[in-house]
Order: sequence, then C-alpha cells, then structure tokens
Amino acid sequence: MGTKFNLDRKPVTDEEINSHKDFGELVNKFKKQSIEKARSDVNFLKNKKATYSAIIAGVAVVCTVTYFAVFKKEPPKETANDKIVTTQQQHTSTPETKLNKAFIAPPISKLNVPYTSYKVKAEQGATIKHKSNSKIIIPKKAFVDKQGQDIVGEVEIKYREFHNQADIIASGIPMTYDSAGVQSHFESAGMIDIKGYQNGEPVFINPKKQITVEFSSEHTADRYNMYELDTVAKNWTYLSRDNSLVNKKQLKPNTQSEVAMIEKKDSPKAQEIQKLIDAIPPKIEAEKITYTKKVNQLPKTIEPSKPTKAIAGRPQFELEVNYKEFPELEAFKNAVFEVGAENKNYNSKLADITWSSAEVSEGPQKGKNYLLTLKLRERVEKLVVYPALTGVDYDKALKSYESKFADYKNLVIKKEADEKRLKEEFEAKQATYLAEQKRLGEEYIKEKIRWQREQQSQLNNAMQDFTSQAIVTRVFSLSNFGIFNSDCPNSLPKGASINPIYVTNEKPIMPNTIYLICHNKNLVYNLQYGTLKFNPKDAYSLCIISNGKMYLCNKETFSSIASSKENKIPLTELSNEVNDAIDLRKAIGI
Amino acid sequence: MLLDAVHMEFSPRYHHTADMLLDEQMIIEAAKQNPEHFGPLYDKYYKQIFGYVYQRMDDKDTAFDLTAQVFLKALTNIEKYEYKGVPFASWLYRIAHSEVMQLFRNNSKLRTVNADISDLRNICEEVEEEYMEQYKGILMTVIKDLPEDELQLIELRFFEKRAFKEIAEILNLTETNAKVKLYRILERVKKTLTKTSK
Repeated sequence: MGTKFNLDRKPVTDEEINSHKDFGELVNKFKKQSIEKARSDVNFLKNKKATYSAIIAGVAVVCTVTYFAVFKKEPPKETANDKIVTTQQQHTSTPETKLNKAFIAPPISKLNVPYTSYKVKAEQGATIKHKSNSKIIIPKKAFVDKQGQDIVGEVEIKYREFHNQADIIASGIPMTYDSAGVQSHFESAGMIDIKGYQNGEPVFINPKKQITVEFSSEHTADRYNMYELDTVAKNWTYLSRDNSLVNKKQLKPNTQSEVAMIEKKDSPKAQEIQKLIDAIPPKIEAEKITYTKKVNQLPKTIEPSKPTKAIAGRPQFELEVNYKEFPELEAFKNAVFEVGAENKNYNSKLADITWSSAEVSEGPQKGKNYLLTLKLRERVEKLVVYPALTGVDYDKALKSYESKFADYKNLVIKKEADEKRLKEEFEAKQATYLAEQKRLGEEYIKEKIRWQREQQSQLNNAMQDFTSQAIVTRVFSLSNFGIFNSDCPNSLPKGASINPIYVTNEKPIMPNTIYLICHNKNLVYNLQYGTLKFNPKDAYSLCIISNGKMYLCNKETFSSIASSKENKIPLTELSNEVNDAIDLRKAIGI
Repeated sequence: MLLDAVHMEFSPRYHHTADMLLDEQMIIEAAKQNPEHFGPLYDKYYKQIFGYVYQRMDDKDTAFDLTAQVFLKALTNIEKYEYKGVPFASWLYRIAHSEVMQLFRNNSKLRTVNADISDLRNICEEVEEEYMEQYKGILMTVIKDLPEDELQLIELRFFEKRAFKEIAEILNLTETNAKVKLYRILERVKKTLTKTSK
C-alpha cells in the first residue's frame, strides 16, 4: 500500500553496472560454496548411520580383497583395447595399467577391432598367413619369458591390423604425433598391433631374434615412416624411414558398375531448394489476397454533398427520398428538387400532371444530381434534378455539411494512411519473399554446380581407382611386441574454417571426441572442440562421440556445409547401426 | 484495447534466432561441465538481470548484491537447467523474480515502482484515453496500490516493455493468461480514468 512510485528516475550508467560485474568473484563464491557443501557431506559421515555404513563397506572390501588374494590364478579376461605392451613395459611384470586403458580406448564400448589369435610352437617358429594376406614370420626360439629365459611350447600370438579410417577410429589408438612440440596427425599406410602370451602371461621377443610382419597395404606411396606407439610416454616413437615396399601388384580393375556416373537429375538438396522456390509465388499470392481483403475492409469514405440553395423561379419538385438509398441526401432534409436547365423536354405543363409514380435514381453526376423518372400509364418523362434547400433548412444543412465534411476529410486522411501502411506492409512481405526466392535461386545454382563437380570428381576417383589401385607389402621387423605403423605426419588442414555447432534432431550436443575423416588420404584428425579447419579441396566426414554415443556427418552433408559456410552441423546417430569397424567403414563411406 | 499494440516498441532482448539459442545452449552445456565456462552467459545477462532487480527497488547496493546472488544461484543449479527452446534469460529472470519476491517478503519497504512519463502515456494509449496531465497522479496511485501480482504485469509490460511470451515465462503463466489478466487490470484503470475525466 505504501509503495513508493518514482517517475523518470535517473538510470544507472553502464560504467557503474560494469564496475560491479566480477565473474572471478562469482566463480570463487561458487567454489567456496561447493567446498562447504563437500565438507558438510563429510560431516555427515560422522553420524552413526554413516559410521555403520562405513563399517559394512569396509567389511565388504576386506572380503573382496581376500577373495582375490586366495583365488586369483586365472588371468583376467582380455578385451581388445587393453593389454597394450610397450617397449618399457616388456620389462615389467604388470604390463596393463589404468593409464594404458585410458590412453587407448575405443570411442564407444562395443566398437573395436578384434584380435586374431594364432598358436605357434616357440621352438619351431612359424609363418602365419593372416586373412589380409599379411604374413607373420616367427623364427625358431623367438620368445623369452620375463626373466629372459627361452620359452618352449605353445605361444599364443594375438594380432590385428588397421587399414582405413574406420579401423583407426574403432581402435581408439591415438594418431596424433608430437615431434618436438609440433603436433601432427598420421596419414596411415597401415598399422599393426601384435602381442604374445603363454598360459596367459605375456612373453617377449628374444633380443637375438626378430619377428617380421609382411603387411599387405593398399597405400602405394613411398612417403611413409615407421613408428612404434609408446603407451607410457603417450606418443609415437620414430623408428625409421619405411623403405620396405615390395611386390607391387595391380589389382583387378573395378567393374563398370562401380564407376560413379554423373547423374542428370538434381541432388536431393537441389530438389529440396527447388520445392522451396516453387512454394514462394503462392505465398506472395496469398499475401496479395490478404492485402486486398484488408484494404476492402477499410471504412468507406462518402463525401457529403454540399447543400445547394434553391434558386427563385426555377421549377421544383418536392419528393420523398429514401435516405438509406441515398445517404448523401441526409444533409438535404426538407429539400426540393430543382429541374436542371439541361432538361430540354421540360415544360411547365409537366408540373400540372398528377404522375402515377416518381422515382429518384442516380443522376449523370453522381452525388450532385439525380434522375427523376415520372410515369403516367405509358408516358415516361426523365428529368435531371438538383437537390436544393431554402431558408433555415439551408443554413442548418450547411452547418451540418461543414461538420460532416470535416469528418469526411479526416476519414480520408486516415484511410489513405491505412492504405499506405497496408501497401507498405504487403510490399515489404513481397520483397522478403522475392529476396528469399533470389537467394534460393542462387543457392540452387551453386548446389547444382557443386553436385555436378562432385559427380565428376567421383567419376574421376573411380577411374583413378580403376587404373591405379594396388596392394604393396610393407615390412615391419619387430624386436618387441606392441603397436607399429607406417605413417606420414600431416599438419592440420588449412584453407577454410567454421565455428561448428553440432546438432542432432535439432538439439545441440557437446562432443567429447571429434574425428575429422579425410577421404582424400587415409587420415583421421582427432580434434578438440572449437574452430574446425579444413581444406576446401578435400572431402571430409565428421565422426563425433558425445556421451558414449557416436554420430556422423557424412561426406555429402559436410561438403554442402563447407560450401554454404553454415556452422550448424547436422549429425546422425550411428550407435545402433554400427557394431564394428566394418559397419563404421560402410557408414562413413570409405 | 489492443494488448498487442503496434505503436509501443518492445524490447528486442528476448528475441533470439535459432542459431543464437543453439550457441547459447552450447555454452550452457560447457558451463555444466566447468563453471569457468559460465562467463559468456554472465557477461551477456548481467546488465539485464541488474536492470530487472533495480527496476523494483531504490537501493542500488541491494540491487547489485541481489544480482550477484541470482547468478550464484544460477551457477549452482545450472545442472538442473533444461533447454526448452526459450532463451536462458527466462530461467535467469525466474530466479531473479523469486529472489526479489523473497527480499520483499522480508522487507516490503524496499519495494518501489519505477516508470517514465512515456510509460504512463503508453498505458493511456492502451486504454484508448488521451493522456492528460491530471492522469499522471491518478495512474501512479492506481498502479502502486495494485496487488503485487498485478503490479508485476504492469511493470513487465509497460515499464520494461517485455513481450507477453517473456512475461509468461517469468511469471510462470500461459501467454493467454497473462494477456487476460492485464486486460482486466487495464479495464479497471480505464474506468478510473474515465470517472476522473468526468
């Protein structure tokens, strides 16, 4: 009730407001508050219930530890992404650490590249032929145990290969390479992961021997180096230049059906744009109808007739008028109708006739004169008559007229303004639609050109594959087990960039991992969230991991975004349809 | 009475494009992970929230303290924030509204009404009455004596020039409900003004 009302209070300046802004203070308060909350949670433990819970939990831990101490004989079951043996770890008794698991982890739990297991008699050695045509050549007495003693008997070799971007992503093996602080990303000619076990215990390669892997690679260039993954240093170690290309052989050319043909019809995106363009003229037409309707609904303006004073001596008629039919005659109440001079057929005798009917209709000058039709049997006389007033009636009518004319003028001004506003509104909407039509038209042409280029490029690539796809053998000479690759470091792509917003089903998602897959090279860039750089001449897909789910922006969509400079990147969830690297490869379109 | 009057300019601060909403959502998601990422939201909305708080009181220091309190509450509860297709501002205003109301419950003397003369003119136009000097005092009395919920509607609509969508979000009403309530208040205002002019 007693609330104070301030009128036109002096506003607070931006400087004053900004002087109170202190985000650091806010974060400090927040942190302090969080610590206090954490402390109060700790205090909770001091109460009795919490103490009992702690005792029960403690007993459970002791029981669990005892169980493992007594029954731990069998090695833990192995998954593909753990048990990575490194150079340093070969000499330790516990090769698996939490660190390794975190360092090499498939992006989603069900995705991985499985190992193939081979049994080898250590004292005999063997040459194993892998399903990819790669060969693992194991000499006699190639293994020692952790004490350095020769191993006799059956050794299990676990082996897997990584050939393409899907394999690389699925493996979770980091493909970034830090050389003296300069980070690069590996373009791969192939990668292997090999390890050996006897009775579940890791074995090591005899320092006097080497295992040779003749790796079948689809990548024929000779720009690659050999690297080994050091999972402790969390970096790749350069081994040597890869000069091991052997047995280059031509593959059978692709069949004609695999060659992409330039489609004459528009791309799906162009078809969508065309639909949008086609929808615009009906929208403009609808706006036009609405505009016309609104204009017609504006109040009608009828100019009131100025009363005329009756001229003495001019022939007159007194007539009853339906004022509803002729509202402008309202001002002429008690009016007489003077016969106009233009009526050549008029003579004074007409006034003496008792006419059976006298009708008033619009005259030649609308609102000014009227047509009086007099009838008696077959005789019809038409006279142009003018309403006129006499004496007090005239003065009264003139006054009324002046007031009505002023209203009329105001109404006309208002109506004109309303009409102008409606017209402007309509024209603005029309202009917006036309601009949209123009923009879409340009987009359509761009998309058409892009589509044609892409089709052409696909055809060229297919033709290139047709003539040059080959398999070569790359030779890995191994003195220890681990992960090795034949790769070529690449810096981040340049030429174009966007600040991406990743969306799925119109909702934004925050990526945990971003893989930019280059389709022109066997290369996956593992990126941080932020500006996305790419080479506009290359083709890319994007694979995003967010909250344990995998999403894809395929080559076509990425290309369209890259050319349109959009920053919203639509993603499709892959988690349900991708169960292994082969599914992923298909999804990516490699 | 035209509640969606075209002649009154409304604040554009509530209007966000889909891209702006998405950008904002990205920041919110980042802030959920790390409070340091809340910075852009703090920068973006500090002035607006202060304006909202200070609009309702005279004590500037209290207004600044309360604004800080609003942002601390927002940061503390940001994990509970769910994106519902409206700007993050709506959520902040709700916190601010709740904090301000709590303050007035504890100390009603702090409550003031602040308006410009042009705001009173807008109210007159809205009720299709030509503004006259004599209306100024009447309007001020009528408005300051309104119950709190009705006063808030007048403040949000005419003194802060907010769209009904935003008003509805802040007061947790439907848009139609906000319009109907305001219409009724204005009808009463109109009656009072008409009585006075006679």
